[in-house]
Parts: sequence; C-alpha cells; structure tokens
Amino acid sequence: MILKAFLLACVAFVGKLDLATGTNQIQRPIVLGPIVGLIMGNLSMGVTIGATLELAFLGSYSIGAFIPPDVIVGGVLGTAFAIETGKGPAVAFTMAFPIALLALIFDNVMFALVRPMLGKLADKYAAKGNVKAINTVHMLAGFLMCAMLAIIVFVGYLLGGSQIKMFVNAIPKPVIDGLTIATGLLPGIGFAMLAQMIMNKEVVPFFFLGFLLSAYFKVPVIGIALLGLILVTVIVKFMNGSKVSTNDGGDDDDF
Amino acid sequence: MMTSDNHMLNKKDLRKVFWRSLPMEFSWHYERQMHMGFEYMISSGLRKIYKNDPDGLRESLQRNLEFFNCTAHITPFIGGVTLAMEEENEKSNDFDVSSISAVKAALMGPLSGLGDSLILGTLRVLAVGIGASIAIKGNVLGAILFLLIFNIPTFILRYYTAMKGYELGASYITKIQESGAMRVFMLAAGILGVMVIGGMINNLVVATTPLKIGTGSGATKIQEVLDGILPGILPLGFTGIYYYLLKKKVNVIWLIIGTAIFGIICAEFGILTVNS
Repeated sequence: MILKAFLLACVAFVGKLDLATGTNQIQRPIVLGPIVGLIMGNLSMGVTIGATLELAFLGSYSIGAFIPPDVIVGGVLGTAFAIETGKGPAVAFTMAFPIALLALIFDNVMFALVRPMLGKLADKYAAKGNVKAINTVHMLAGFLMCAMLAIIVFVGYLLGGSQIKMFVNAIPKPVIDGLTIATGLLPGIGFAMLAQMIMNKEVVPFFFLGFLLSAYFKVPVIGIALLGLILVTVIVKFMNGSKVSTNDGGDDDDF
Repeated sequence: MMTSDNHMLNKKDLRKVFWRSLPMEFSWHYERQMHMGFEYMISSGLRKIYKNDPDGLRESLQRNLEFFNCTAHITPFIGGVTLAMEEENEKSNDFDVSSISAVKAALMGPLSGLGDSLILGTLRVLAVGIGASIAIKGNVLGAILFLLIFNIPTFILRYYTAMKGYELGASYITKIQESGAMRVFMLAAGILGVMVIGGMINNLVVATTPLKIGTGSGATKIQEVLDGILPGILPLGFTGIYYYLLKKKVNVIWLIIGTAIFGIICAEFGILTVNS
C-alpha cells in the first residue's frame, strides 16, 4: 500500500516534469495511465483508462491563462482507484474529475500566491545582477509544484476515493469561488506592470484602441496586431514623408 | 570571438536558447506567467552580451522579468529577437530600452494566438485522436504514437525558432539603427505593444458581476448595463486600479494577497462571480 502510494507519487512528480522538458505532454492521462496500470498490476487496463481519461480531459488543457482541473493528480488517482476497485474505464472519470478539481485548489494557491512571491524574490536577485540565483528560483518554483503534486497523490491514495470526496465538500464554497475570482483578476497585475514599462503619452490612445477593438468588435489579438501593423506602417510612412529630404531614399519603405 | 556578421552570439549560444527554452512553463503563475522561464531562456545570452557591463546586466535582468506569456513551443523566437535588441542596446548608447518590452509585448500576443490554435488546438487534438483510438483498445503503442506526433514537429519548430529569431532581429535592428529611423521604430513598437496589451486585457483578465438592481424578473442586471456602455469595463477598471497602485509604489505582494482576500469577499457577498 505504502509502496504503491510512493510509486504513484513518483509518477505524478515525473508527470509534472512535462513542463521542465519542453511541454511535451508526458503529464497527460494517455501517457501516465499505462505507467499507473503497470504499478497497479494491470497494464492494458491502465492504457485503456488513460485513453478514456485523455478524451474526457481533452478540453482540460492550459491555454493562455486558463488553468484547468489538475489532470495529473486526477488522472493518476482516478486510474489507480478505477483499477483497484475493478470498475474500469466507466467509473474512472467520475473518480478522476472531483479529485482533479480538489487538486486545482492546491494548484491555484501555488499559482496565485506562492509563485508570485518567488517572482518577487527573482526581482531582488535581478537588481543584484545575480543570474544564477534567478535561475535557481525558477527551477525551485517548478520542483516545488512537482513535490506538492507528489504529496497530494501520496496522501490521496492512502485516504482513498470516498474520503477525498468528503474533503472536497468540506471546503467552504466562497473560499473556492473567491480564489477562482482572484485568479481571473491577477493577470491584470502583470499587464499593469508591462504597461508601465511601455506606456507614454504618445501611445496611450493606441492602448485604448486595442482594448476597444477587442471589447466592442471582438477582434482576436492576432487581428489587433495586424491592424496595429497597418496603422504603424501608415504612421511611419507619414512621418518619413514629412522629412523626405533627410531620407537617403533607400529601400526601407518596402514594408 | 565574434561571428563574421559582427554579432555577439553564435550558433552555440542560440542552441543554448533552445535548450533553455524547454522549462519555459515550469514556474508559471497568474501574475507574470512565464516571466522567470523567459529569463531563464535568455539568461546565458544576456550574460555574454553584458559581460563587461554589470549595470547593463542588472537593468536587463529586471526588464526581462516582466510579464511574459506565449505558446511555449515558439518562445525561442521572441527570446532571439529580445537578445538581438539587448545586444543593440549594449552596442549603442541612444537605445530606448522600452522598445524591448514593447516588441516583446507586440510579438507574444499574436504568436500565442497562432501557436495556441495550431499547436495546442490542432496538432495536440490530432495526436490525441490518433493515439487514443489505438490506446483505448489497450495497446500501449497509442501512447507512444501520441507523444511522437506531438513532439517531433514541436521540437523541430522550437529549434528552428531559436535559430531564426536572433538572426532576424539582429539584421532588422542593425538596419533600422543605421538608417536613423530608431525614433520612429520605437514609436511603432510602442503603439503595437500597447494595442496588443489592450486587447489581451479584455481577453485574459476576467471579472463578471452577478449584481442586480431590484428583484424578480424585472430586476436590472448590472453586468448587462455595463456591457451596454463598455464591454470589458471591469477587466479594464481592475487593471487600471493595479496600474495606479503600482505607480503609487504599492508592493506587488500586497496586491496579490489583497486580490485573494478581495476575491473571497466578492464570492461571499456575490459582488463578482465565477466565469465558466
């Protein structure tokens, strides 16, 4: 039991290393499922459940700033419980999903509180010109997450499926919802910091132009960038045209 | 020491950018997202560029720890362009460093859009489709095929973008600098950068209110009123508040903790709602 819990924890740890090795998808249920199957003593069942969960979690993929339920913890424990209870692929998702949701709360604490603090620490080292220390903080932030997931899987497996469901229900709803709301707002800090570096009086109107194009006309970011490119080309032509005599008439206006 | 084109970084350095781009998302977080990953990717290049200029390195490190987010597999391209600009900054003394941030911002939005839809939207789904259809019968080959279909193209792309970004950035920026069009270029980069940021705020900052005036079916939904005036006014407003507080030198840590507490209060009293 303890050995299995430990091995499953290792699987979660390695799964999260996906993001250290090129976002190469080793964290997905279709890859971890067979390994969990091997640990639980039923490889082919693990493969099947992994594929089933992969399809079920197809939309649970981090794109942009969207953080989905934790497919690593959900996938590993869901597969393990489904094999253990002998109920197979049919129940794997109903097991995996609440667990993935529960793990998402821990993920969010990491993403919304712990790592932004580490980011501040990196700022401090940057001010000192200490490249090595910044890189260490980066790696630390990553391995901390791997370790956290491993611990959740370890404890989760020992507790068992029904205990976990009870735990999920015990957390006050405003806390869960509140953190989700906060995660929607937090990117605003990042954009505000970025804007502070670029913003000046000359470009302020264009900031609002970009925002309004998105808000009123639902133009995707690529579209805004392309419109911006046209705008910039026109502006550059206009500015160059007003001082045409100083220009050596080279090939720099064939944008 | 230098390559024939008088560039500070050679193929070996760019290969380092490729390798170091692999843990891009390893330290991701909500506030500045991939900023430490980006820094990690270009840090060895920066160290080489600023090896005789510790002050320049310090400033560059701080500037490159700002917000960054893009589809991980094509980030080396932006890393290369950034390194080319950092190099130009080190070589000339009238370089406006804000254009580095502006170019980064202008690139990350559109490249994310492209990368997310092609790599994460199309290639990944294709890989799952093929892999899962085999694996669901209990054949482990499906999992292996899934990894191969996804990773062979993305690793080639990652390597290629690492090589090309710097080359492209360096050739353009040198040309611009020589033609004396730098001021125009800075303005252009700034315009493009803030436009993309404006668009990203509306897309990526999420805030919706469930508040109503009155009761029953005749109640006025405040969100609808707001959408009628200016859709996305809440994301814009919150970002504006953050902007103002940062200007007032409020510590980011307090902003983060404050946001978490604010979120819980909003959930308890139904001021803001969870978007699904």
